Amino acid sequence: MTTFAGHLPGLDREDVSWRRVSYESWGETAEIALPDLTEAQARALCRHVRENARARLKRMDVARIVAAIDGASERLLDRTHPLRREAERMLPVVTGYDRETVRLGLTSYLKTFQRPQLLRFLAEDFADPGMLDGFRPARKGGFVRASGPDLLLHVWAGNVPALSLWSLVCGLLVKAGTVGKLASAEPLTAGWFAGLVAEIDPEIGECLAIVWWKGGEEAGEAAFLAEADTVMAYGGNATLAALRAKIPVTTRFLPHGHRIGFGLVAREALDSRRAMALARLAAKDVVRYEQQGCYSPQMIFVERGGGVAPGEFARYLAHELAALAHRHPRRTLSSGEGASVAAWRGAQEMRATGDAAVLLGAPEDPFSVVHLDAATPLAPTGLNRTLALVSVDSLDEVPALVAPHRAFLQTAAIAAAPAALFRLAESLASVGVSRLAAFGAMASPEPGWHHDGRFSLLDLVTMTEIDQAAEAAAEGFAPYVD
Amino acid sequence: MRFRDRAILVTGASRGIGAAIAKAFAAEGGTVIVNYRQDAEAAEGIAARCRAAGGEALAIAADVTSEEAVAAMAERIGEEVGRLDVVVNNAFAPYRFDPDRRARFPDVPWSAYERQFEGAVRATYHVCRAMLPLLGRSSSASIVNLASDLVTRPSIPYHDYTTAKAALVGFSRNLAAELGPRGIRVNCVAPGLVSPTEASAATKEEVREMLIAQTPLRRLATPEDVAGPVLFLAGPDGAFVTGQVLHVDGGLVMA
Repeated sequence: MTTFAGHLPGLDREDVSWRRVSYESWGETAEIALPDLTEAQARALCRHVRENARARLKRMDVARIVAAIDGASERLLDRTHPLRREAERMLPVVTGYDRETVRLGLTSYLKTFQRPQLLRFLAEDFADPGMLDGFRPARKGGFVRASGPDLLLHVWAGNVPALSLWSLVCGLLVKAGTVGKLASAEPLTAGWFAGLVAEIDPEIGECLAIVWWKGGEEAGEAAFLAEADTVMAYGGNATLAALRAKIPVTTRFLPHGHRIGFGLVAREALDSRRAMALARLAAKDVVRYEQQGCYSPQMIFVERGGGVAPGEFARYLAHELAALAHRHPRRTLSSGEGASVAAWRGAQEMRATGDAAVLLGAPEDPFSVVHLDAATPLAPTGLNRTLALVSVDSLDEVPALVAPHRAFLQTAAIAAAPAALFRLAESLASVGVSRLAAFGAMASPEPGWHHDGRFSLLDLVTMTEIDQAAEAAAEGFAPYVD
Repeated sequence: MRFRDRAILVTGASRGIGAAIAKAFAAEGGTVIVNYRQDAEAAEGIAARCRAAGGEALAIAADVTSEEAVAAMAERIGEEVGRLDVVVNNAFAPYRFDPDRRARFPDVPWSAYERQFEGAVRATYHVCRAMLPLLGRSSSASIVNLASDLVTRPSIPYHDYTTAKAALVGFSRNLAAELGPRGIRVNCVAPGLVSPTEASAATKEEVREMLIAQTPLRRLATPEDVAGPVLFLAGPDGAFVTGQVLHVDGGLVMA
């Protein structure tokens, strides 16, 4: 059976050419048809979305959009809903992640798109979210209104299930006509979500399209890139640079590149009881989405002097990774992924011959942990459950060890007492870390968080101001002027 | 190939723990009788996987709480397989392990206990009686009954289920005492929460994490974890072990 991906308002399925792609994991296969639009269709679709957004979406209250997103999330959170069942069945086959990871991940992610959390999103960025609906008094005087772009293009990447919803929801909240380009490695959830929104509120459904084109293929891509007012894109720096080069200079470009996550464990967190619990939480962060998301840790810095030494903590962590693999088996690695794990292991083995490192986990195990006894600068690992644990005399050494990767920093998990948390937060902020998380929650940012340190909604809008003076001047022209 | 030329009956083998046990015996060369109650398609699927694993397999439908159905199954095993060396009483009355919605004691009717006794003790009683003549001809006969670590440590008080499993442990020890002189061994395997199975699907994350946090080996049991100890008790490695309860729960219960 073929699953048709995307959401194409104003286009008939029969008129569209579909590219069929097969996926295989866990002994099952799935065929997905991805829409392959002609340049004319792409332009027509962009016009359809833009015109409908102007005529309908922009005139709606944000509350109505919130209700539609809340409704779509509610349906996908309902484990008996046919689409939720479909998602739990298809996403493991398509992305390769195990069923439990997909099931738990979907719920934890969709929870953040319910009405209370959406209101928090809005409140986080707008002192008065009413400014998305009309001019509101500004504190400095005068009035101000926020408007999203008429046409916002999302270019998604990666295989983390439902990750696309994050930016999709942000765009809708600022009433942007929305076109989203599916990632080939997870081409389903955004289309399902758009379909649900359209079912709940058909008018919004007309202002929202989910498309696909083969990365780098000129015909469809050029039309979308030319039509968009704002482009929000995900991917590696090379992909983003190539994309940026094709975008008109007047188009706003909001890139989200790859990141390296890391963790810090203070000695006070390493007593006989808490060390084990912490090892489990850290292992969960490693396992969640096989370190493919931007949040996952690749290196953990562990302070010496606690009840449990860094080397022992590495062993606890390795055992937790082994235990978690029973419930969340690692997905089958592509040959490239397998090679990068092997290459990373090889490099660690070289280190291990000199006594400076201990490599835990055999080549056939679905994880590898290396314990490095000397302070070592942050470096990417081989991903797919490969982790480096670095001993340090003091966590205060860490900011300098991660600073060279400033452009790739985002999330750091920390287990430390409050005074250390705030002291380290200051120095980590100064080297580019934009989020400090608890272990176990690295892959679940809070609603309203600042992705890559930016304002998720504010970055999308343009403010229109009525100067205080203009308002005062208008008074002079009023019919009731004395 | 510890079970080549050996015939093994596994009750309730169309899914979950039973299916894993059946496949493990087959992988050791055994001829596995895949007993099931309703889902013929699933049972045939498991039989096919047993053959693929290197054993022989025969799927037989029989409600093990019915004396007649069990007698008919014994007759069929006698005719078609001609021998029986191991019986694994794994089937149990349908039960939903849902800690949030479990019935509390005042709300558990006696009929619920009866239902679990039927599924655990009565089924095992019928199967053991009906299979004894076949087992008696084997020189290495063994019975393995699936109990639960909840008997020793009721982490969640599933009154009816656990009480029935406790009775099954008593039943097994008595049988071990009586059948020992005839060279037939009887033991129990007591798993902790096993996941993934259909019966445990409703157990919420919080409970799983609570159990994992208290489990030295830091995870829940998988169906495959249970199979190894069953094979140990059923086969030559366990030749001098009878009347025992082997906990397979990562160290949650140490007894």
